[in-house]
Amino acid sequence: MDVNTAFSWLLIFPMISSAVIYLVGRTFSRSVKIENRTNPARWLALLALLVTGVFLYFVIKNVFSTGQTHYQNFGEVWFRFDGISLLLSLLVLVLGILVTIYSFTYVGKEPGEEKFYALLVIMIGAINGLGCALDLFNLWVWFEVMTISSIVLVAFYKDQAASLEAGVKYLIQSATGSVMVVLGIALIFLETGTLNIETLRMSISSPTPFLIIGGALMVIGFGVKIAMVPLHTWLPDAHSQAPSGISAMLSGVVIEVGLIALLRALGGIALSGGRWGYLLIGFGVLNMIVGNLLALRQKEVKRMLAYSSLSHVGYMLLGFGVLISLNGLMAGVGAIFHLITHGLMKSLAFLAAGVFLYNFHISKGSHKPLILDDLNGASRKYPFTAFAFSIALLSLGGLPPLAGFMSKWQLLAGVAQTQNTIMIVLVVFAGLMSVLSLGYYAPLVNRMYRKEPAAIVMEGEPVSIWMYIPMVILTLAVVVLGFVPSILYWLTGPAGYSLFIFFGQ
Amino acid sequence: MNISTSMIVLTAVMGLFGIGLYCLLITRNLIRVLVGLQIMVKGAMLVLVFVGQSQGQPSLGQSMALTVIVADTIVAVVGLALAVQVKRSIGTLDIADISKLKR
Repeated sequence: MDVNTAFSWLLIFPMISSAVIYLVGRTFSRSVKIENRTNPARWLALLALLVTGVFLYFVIKNVFSTGQTHYQNFGEVWFRFDGISLLLSLLVLVLGILVTIYSFTYVGKEPGEEKFYALLVIMIGAINGLGCALDLFNLWVWFEVMTISSIVLVAFYKDQAASLEAGVKYLIQSATGSVMVVLGIALIFLETGTLNIETLRMSISSPTPFLIIGGALMVIGFGVKIAMVPLHTWLPDAHSQAPSGISAMLSGVVIEVGLIALLRALGGIALSGGRWGYLLIGFGVLNMIVGNLLALRQKEVKRMLAYSSLSHVGYMLLGFGVLISLNGLMAGVGAIFHLITHGLMKSLAFLAAGVFLYNFHISKGSHKPLILDDLNGASRKYPFTAFAFSIALLSLGGLPPLAGFMSKWQLLAGVAQTQNTIMIVLVVFAGLMSVLSLGYYAPLVNRMYRKEPAAIVMEGEPVSIWMYIPMVILTLAVVVLGFVPSILYWLTGPAGYSLFIFFGQ
Repeated sequence: MNISTSMIVLTAVMGLFGIGLYCLLITRNLIRVLVGLQIMVKGAMLVLVFVGQSQGQPSLGQSMALTVIVADTIVAVVGLALAVQVKRSIGTLDIADISKLKR
């Protein structure tokens, strides 16, 4: 297939198929009265994602045979498919397909099932587009599509007070952030007269007040999505109240996508002299401290995992900050590797926690949260799920030989390579934070394996096959990446480089 | 476009933005919070139109403002739908009353 055709379909196909999924699912659920028939929306969603994957394959094949980047325009709007776009599309499609399979059971009995799949597909399509956007305003449009679909997904259980509250918080904070981004874009446009990131980079010579204000507004606006620390208050609510598959997507991809969007936007104006990287490093340090300390005192499993996302974003901010300000290419590559492994292991953790939550509470019609005590002795009745959860937790805590250790190692080694005293201190600090994070991961493993089973565990339902498949794949991925991290160098290297060329002096 | 016009526009933008932000910060009613958000977006839209004009690309600025209107309408629709659900299942629109989740 021609690369231009494949690329156009890569962007358009999820949007079209989302509408089809909703219409077919809605027609089906209104017309068929029999309770036990499965809604075809789920199979359509899986098919749509697989077909998108085929288009992505054709784009990748051509991009690798002709060089590293592919430019394409629709009228005045330019797209650029490079290492970062490849990374985001691949990660989001793999996780999206796994989450779709997982949700066959998880939302299978909910009334609005077709809405779930339609919104999930449109969210994945928006992330695909966001990775390729070369225009600040276009970047914002994809970002907004992603935000709106994820807001509705967070408030999926629309009769539950807690999930509505999470949705409201998420909506108000994200929408305020979006307005800030628009204002920032407008100020940059006022100063330079262009919005194309590459042209912008050429046309800027010195920092001016409007550029600095615009950049700061974008840091705040995208920072809401990344959950930089003073702006993080929506995150634990949204991640813990969403259906578990969506928690996995939000935590594994969406917050990282905000980070990539911020880096793309800053890439245009980085030469304006502002030391944006130091700002990111500062936020990274705050994120690590606050995320770890708040996670230590959580009683609910999914809230704890949500807070641990904060600290992992802190590591990525540190790596990308070093990439921007100190030309540390290796730190950027490490941060990108951490982005991938965090996506895999945090999704695995949320999916496994979701298995417990579903079988203990949701399948019995209750919407209570999964608290730590519920996990006591879970390995007796759910050996594989407990094993997968332990792998995910230990990997998040950075124990060798799992993927989380390898990515943290690469990231911190990259930071240390800058030979800067403050950065060495930060490396030590990040290592200590990683040890601190074991303080809340390890007790969970202990609970699952060494305590007597709680009553709620013994009354739990058996796990369905649709939930096993994604967990097996993700567990394998986390373990294999820990032993052979080099199998992803073809992905992380180009991605790091395509960020680097925007910031290199 | 002379200086005085741009000063007037930018002052109006900052005013709208400030009013919206103030409204967002002090009100406790969910509907009013959404209205405050709308006022902020109107400020941002005005600056887009103004910037397009001053850069000599009025159609670009206006088309961006139109896109913002569409996106903003969707946000408003989702927000109001959530507000309806909140009112139905919690029985109040006061933000302080609906926040039960722990920090």
